Amino acid sequence: MFAITPNTLSNFMISLSRYVILLSLVLISVSIFLIIFLENDYYQGISFKIMFIHVPTAWLSLAIFLVMGISSIIGLIFKSPTALTVARSLSPIGLIMSIIVLVTGSIWGNLTWGAYWVWDARLTSMLILTFIYLGHILLLHSFEHFQKADFAASILAIIGLVNLPIVKFSVDWWTTLHQESSVLRMGGPSMTNDYLITLLVSFFGIFMLTIFWFSNIFYIIVEKRKMERSILLND
Amino acid sequence: MRIIKLNNQIKKRFIFLLIIFACFSTSIFLISYSLKDQIAYFVEPTDLKSMDGIENKYLRVGGLVKTNSLKFLDGKWIFEVVDQNQNSVNVVFSKTLPNLVEENKGIIVEGKFIDNIFVAEIVLAKHDENYMPQSAIDKLKEEGKWRGN
Repeated sequence: MFAITPNTLSNFMISLSRYVILLSLVLISVSIFLIIFLENDYYQGISFKIMFIHVPTAWLSLAIFLVMGISSIIGLIFKSPTALTVARSLSPIGLIMSIIVLVTGSIWGNLTWGAYWVWDARLTSMLILTFIYLGHILLLHSFEHFQKADFAASILAIIGLVNLPIVKFSVDWWTTLHQESSVLRMGGPSMTNDYLITLLVSFFGIFMLTIFWFSNIFYIIVEKRKMERSILLND
Repeated sequence: MRIIKLNNQIKKRFIFLLIIFACFSTSIFLISYSLKDQIAYFVEPTDLKSMDGIENKYLRVGGLVKTNSLKFLDGKWIFEVVDQNQNSVNVVFSKTLPNLVEENKGIIVEGKFIDNIFVAEIVLAKHDENYMPQSAIDKLKEEGKWRGN
């Protein structure tokens, strides 16, 4: 597994990327179609439809951090450049995802709760996650040598893993204004099947878009390093 | 020989990371455990019974709006917030209510107790994690399985 070089992974991902983006566009178009023709919620009316952006991006912002943390652990322990580069290319995507979560969440919050922002456990821990993503990106760009930057940023990603269960279970551990989980919970999803299917289609569409985006960032980093190395060798 | 040396290094790095992670997660756990009353966003009417000195203290109380208690009198909203144990709090609110405040639905009120009546300054509607269209509710009502209002 650790024999995979950044170059192999980059070529593999780029060769798949055209199918991935095609699948993503199809799924996102289908989900937009489904969202438009879906019946409104009995209580929240049309404003609940923002859930179909809010929930997939929220899942992804947590999942991306989990992958980042695990690949940072592998990268630090086994000195694997591939794993460290995976973590490096994921953090900008995670930052954008978590910003989308906060923005869509506050719009939804204003429509239903009557407030854009409150300092309850779920919202605060999500804001901390956003700041950890931001810190990870800043650390990656504050060293001259990328090996040092990768080391520092990986430590932050591993420490930041502590925040993930707090974000996920904050609604169960403490009383919050934010509602509890609807899909990933004990006793099955608490929404009707048409909503659930739309949510999953939307999730896989955004997930495929994330993979496409990731392979592009990964490819750019690998090619940039190759170019720098060849310049160094020519000098 | 070389493999053994490499394994030792891997082991050392693994233990290093484990110690960092363990220290950090323990400290976060201790902080959040000792601050759990502050992290909780609201208290329920039942919790108020065991609290001292709640008069004139800024609080958030959450629960459901009691059925048949929501009234508009003299430019003020009057309602009761009730929890699962049927303990309730009388609330007065003089501003506009959020759209989603309804009887038998979640609510969080922020304010103070003055003469055993909770004078709210901010009211937030708290919706739950159940989503369904009106047609699904009608179907459940036909089958007699609907347990809401």
